[in-house]
Amino acid sequence: MLVLRPVELTDLPQLQQLARDSLVGVTSLPDDSERLREKILDSCASFDKDVEGNGPENYFFVLEDVASQRLAGCSEVLATAGFSEPFYSLRNRHFTSASRELNIEHGVPALSLCHDLSGHTLLRGFHIDAERVGTPFSELLSRARLLFIAAHAPRFAEAVITEIVGYSDEQGQSPFWDALGKHFFDLPYVEAERLCGLESRTFLAELMPQYPIYVPMLPPAAQACIGRIHPDGQEAFDILAREGFETNSYIDLFDGGPTLYARTSNIRSIARSHTAVAQLAEGIDARGSYLVSNDSLKDFRAIVAELDYNAGQPVGLSAEMCAALNVTDGSPIRLIAL
Amino acid sequence: MIVRPVQITDLPALLALVQQAGPGFTTLPANEDRLTHRVRWAQRTFAEQVERADADYLFVLEDDDQRVVGVSALTGAVGMREPWYNYRVGLTVSSSADLGIQRQIPTLFLNNEMTGQSELCSLFLRPDQREGCNGRLLSLGRLLFVAEFPQLFGEKLIAELRGSADEQGRSPFWDSLGRHFFKMDFSYADHLSGMGNKSFIAELMPRQPLYTCLLTEQAQAVIGKAHPNTEPALKILNAEGFAHKDYIDIFDGGPVIEAQVSKIRAVRDSQPLALAIGTPDDQAPVWLIHNRRMENCRITAARARLVGNSLIVDRLTAKRLQLQPGDSVRAVPLLNQQQQAVAA
Repeated sequence: MLVLRPVELTDLPQLQQLARDSLVGVTSLPDDSERLREKILDSCASFDKDVEGNGPENYFFVLEDVASQRLAGCSEVLATAGFSEPFYSLRNRHFTSASRELNIEHGVPALSLCHDLSGHTLLRGFHIDAERVGTPFSELLSRARLLFIAAHAPRFAEAVITEIVGYSDEQGQSPFWDALGKHFFDLPYVEAERLCGLESRTFLAELMPQYPIYVPMLPPAAQACIGRIHPDGQEAFDILAREGFETNSYIDLFDGGPTLYARTSNIRSIARSHTAVAQLAEGIDARGSYLVSNDSLKDFRAIVAELDYNAGQPVGLSAEMCAALNVTDGSPIRLIAL
Repeated sequence: MIVRPVQITDLPALLALVQQAGPGFTTLPANEDRLTHRVRWAQRTFAEQVERADADYLFVLEDDDQRVVGVSALTGAVGMREPWYNYRVGLTVSSSADLGIQRQIPTLFLNNEMTGQSELCSLFLRPDQREGCNGRLLSLGRLLFVAEFPQLFGEKLIAELRGSADEQGRSPFWDSLGRHFFKMDFSYADHLSGMGNKSFIAELMPRQPLYTCLLTEQAQAVIGKAHPNTEPALKILNAEGFAHKDYIDIFDGGPVIEAQVSKIRAVRDSQPLALAIGTPDDQAPVWLIHNRRMENCRITAARARLVGNSLIVDRLTAKRLQLQPGDSVRAVPLLNQQQQAVAA
């Protein structure tokens, strides 16, 4: 059985292996043991902290195979994007040129550096073992974060965003980066993404273009990357799209990948998840697949389970499920159909 | 040959001349109505009936048989009636000390900084007349006119030189920049510009600075590059102290050359002299001579000898200038010292 739980310091060696395998654009998962260690400690502190609103907390989860104690994936929720360091995006917006005398009017799209997405809750660091891609465990790894938000709403913002990794080819070349960022950073795309995961991000502010970039002036290959998803980012995108997340006018400043946005209260797994009471059961006449979580903070757990759920009734869980969720007969749980 | 103010009777000759110049000559389009309007306006300008903001001094080059073979113009002030736009080629530095990164990115800033300066424009000399002193007379005559009436002009003279374009008239600068904001081809935009719609077009241009690294390589390569056809005109003005600083045309990226009036050689070195009639020998230098009149302005180039405060010219030259011996002229050697040394 696979369980999603908060990360612990003992996860460090395995986590580093995951980081090594993760996609270049997943910058929140650096392949650097010191930095990862800091991230783990930061996450532990976040789960420990009493908070009244959303601050700089970062909640870092891992997906663990209970039997083998092997990690199969990880994901994060940053309570507030742009809280402790600026959160940059490019806003893609039309500038209207008009001349009454010449009877000409048309819009020209332009990309402007902005901090507009600061203040929202950010889903990030999604990475799952290649062999689990497309399984219910991808859903668990991504959506358990939403169940966590549902259980601890005051710790999060009123809107949730995520950046989907943009297109780059098999050689790690990003046409968007090559047409834009490279001029200002003088670095290859992969190196820039690596720095973003490692160093202080002040270099972003120092190097990013401050004036708008008019889209028609970019080469066609770069224009085609605006809002385009890396093939390996498609699943992360699809899961959240089904949750009601939508693309908007913001893109990633390095690779042009899309940003997804949703009002927290409208997200499917938050709006439609049910709270119920666990009941230890011997045999379950399963009628559907569910994501199930307990409602705790530090001991948050979530699993995929086949259940017989009836609204208003206690939910029968096997002993193995109860153990995985760290719940007993009568504990509150939360569930949503897979 | 003389340079004189245009007359309404020059219209047929002028139209024929402008037709020869072709579509690249946007400031004087071969359109009879517009040309008529411009000639009438020039006549009012020379009659001192218009304000500096509207002043348009249109000159013609006429041979001794009263045939018009060239045209050139000088405006009182640009940008006083409608905005005058240029790009200034500035610099943005993208730098991070921590990462050891330093990128210098030339950046185009839209501006109206030339407002109030006077513009040299609309110069065309019939191809079969491009010999001897004709080109210099037609171009530099305007500078001598400014020397005589500096109060009518700005602190600087500027000239927008036609930018680089291919044989079909396509401008790589326009294709990489302006085209995206107008969705029209360069020759049509150029045509609208010549019809007096330049500021309307400019108003469609992006207000924000533009990083040149985002232009095509071809466009970057022609920033501040004059069309090869303008080479002779450019050389003449360079020798007078005109230089390309940081300003370019917003449509084709051609250079805007500029000079402080007081530092222009033909202005600075010109002097009032008394005209005398004699026989300057064949070794005498050629002078650019102005009769110091406004409406009856006559400027010519002729061999002359400076003796004291007198400029000795032959009888024909005096006749061309419509002057008598003893009348005052403003004159300057046609060539600068370096050119004279080369000529000698």
